[in-house]
Amino acid sequence: MDSFSQVILDGATGTLILALVALGLAVIFGLGGVLNLGHGAMLTLGAYVTWACQMHGVPFIACVPIAAVVVGVIGLLFELAVVRHFYDRPFETLLITYAFYLIATQVIQIVWGRAVHNIPNPLPGNVTIAGASTRVYTIVVCGVCIALLSLTWLVMYRTSVGTRLRAMLQNREMASLLGIDASRTYSAIFATGAALAGLAGALISPLFSASPDMGSLWLVRSFFVVIAGGLGALVGGTLLGSAVISGGTDVFSLFTSQVFAQTVVFALAILILRVRPEGLLRKVPAR
Amino acid sequence: MSFKVEVSHETASRKVVRARRPRRGNTEDLLATVLFAVLFAVPSVGDSYQVFILPQYMLFGVLAMSLCLVWGLGGILSFGQGAFFLIGAYALGILSTRVSGSLGVWLGIAVGIALSAAVAGALAYFLFRARVRGSYFVLVTLAISTIGGVIATSASDLTGGFNGMFISRVQLTVSGWGVDLASDSTSYYFVLALTIGVYVMLRWLSRSAFGRVLVGIRENEERAEALGYDVALRKTLAFSLSAAIAAMAGAIYGTEAGFVSPSLADVVFSTSIVLWVAIGGRDFFLGGLVGALAISLVSEKLNSAIPEYWQLLLGVLFLAVVIGFRRGIVGSAILAIDRVGDRR
Repeated sequence: MDSFSQVILDGATGTLILALVALGLAVIFGLGGVLNLGHGAMLTLGAYVTWACQMHGVPFIACVPIAAVVVGVIGLLFELAVVRHFYDRPFETLLITYAFYLIATQVIQIVWGRAVHNIPNPLPGNVTIAGASTRVYTIVVCGVCIALLSLTWLVMYRTSVGTRLRAMLQNREMASLLGIDASRTYSAIFATGAALAGLAGALISPLFSASPDMGSLWLVRSFFVVIAGGLGALVGGTLLGSAVISGGTDVFSLFTSQVFAQTVVFALAILILRVRPEGLLRKVPAR
Repeated sequence: MSFKVEVSHETASRKVVRARRPRRGNTEDLLATVLFAVLFAVPSVGDSYQVFILPQYMLFGVLAMSLCLVWGLGGILSFGQGAFFLIGAYALGILSTRVSGSLGVWLGIAVGIALSAAVAGALAYFLFRARVRGSYFVLVTLAISTIGGVIATSASDLTGGFNGMFISRVQLTVSGWGVDLASDSTSYYFVLALTIGVYVMLRWLSRSAFGRVLVGIRENEERAEALGYDVALRKTLAFSLSAAIAAMAGAIYGTEAGFVSPSLADVVFSTSIVLWVAIGGRDFFLGGLVGALAISLVSEKLNSAIPEYWQLLLGVLFLAVVIGFRRGIVGSAILAIDRVGDRR
């Protein structure tokens, strides 16, 4: 049995890593209204771009922004070519992003093969905090996650961009009449979400090796984070959702097997979906 | 709300209903008859490998038709069909070895079907009652297949875990009478008969009052509710029936293939089912059936030669179907034939 502080530390790092992974999904879903089933493939792309850059001798710290930009650009192109014509039909966007997942996963395998690639830990070594130990790199990833969440909050609530985004969320027609270019805003939202997914994929790649199906493992968990957290409540919702999904799994696995804990937490998320369809933090009325 | 808007709604809905029920309406059945006749002739002209492998693909076809029922007719996309297929296969595998004689076989099939129908029904009613629908429900079905795979992997005492379990060919007998699936040709005709039976049953269901109300719900849930139909109950029944069909197909698949593993609930297989139905044509049971058969047959050839490019092509086809080719290949063919017939 781990010590209490170890449980707390593992819970916190697990929550923050899941929040990092889910943030891109939350941006595209919460602001753009698209359930992006391609999110997992975007994570995978980020991890593979990181691996490919490292193979060409690029230092890890430069690989991460490259991965974010590459995946962001791919997301932008996909939005411009296909997704933008379907915003008024949410169910179709789900299928379209699913097609993106199918195509991207195969392209990844054609370009980089099916093998699992290990990305060396850029910051080897452990750190001990209050009797609990974890990897230095994990702490750094958590730091990046906190920074990103803070940045998202600042952009949403302290800048004119955020004001416009919130105006769009509340009333799209009215916001357009007041001079906000809706279609460019949606493109930017999709590209940002894709870039965040690429960034997350790059950052978690040294912790979990890169394989063509790594994204699908995270996809369902990320979705439940967003569902539990709720639409529109970007920062708080993502954090709370991650805490419920990741922390919940940790807590239950203290008593039972990891697998059973995962199942219980999924059941819990389905329960949340039923009783509070707009999420635990109900900020924006359902559209 | 002006009166004009209401009128245009009304015409639009009538158009949809008419498009769903062409006057002849039998093109699908006619083509299906041709398909079944060809399949019936295969054992006399084909080689033994085809007789061995085609029943498995026909069962994929039954699985695809179960998705047509919920997705095409009811508008509920499910990524969870693989999990119900898995439940059916494991239930037969586990009970036929633990309970001796024909009782174990029948018990296995019955338990698999009942368990799938119960799980699907309970979950669906729970969520549909609260008006959870569309994309959100899709996510729940995605979770169903994840959980199914995880449980199958972890309950290794029962299921053999990650390595899967072997299931011998069973006999389906009642007091000495019945079929012995150990013979390839017997099981071929048995599976063909099952496939035809499911097709006929689903076609009948889609023409029945239940099927028409389901289409009405798909087109406009609020209106169906305003007309007094218990929308949640009907959607639940459709989803539960579809899970039961998937489980039955899974049970027979388990004994046909002789092997079942958790991979049947993973992303790849769940994806395949959706691809079969989308590319074949979700609005027609024949679309799902042909989609499953054709794609499985081609996959078998190409998956060893150029797996990535073939899967890529399927992905691109899926994107095309979603963007502007909603009827799929078989669906478009059926409508084209109908149009030619109308012109004459």
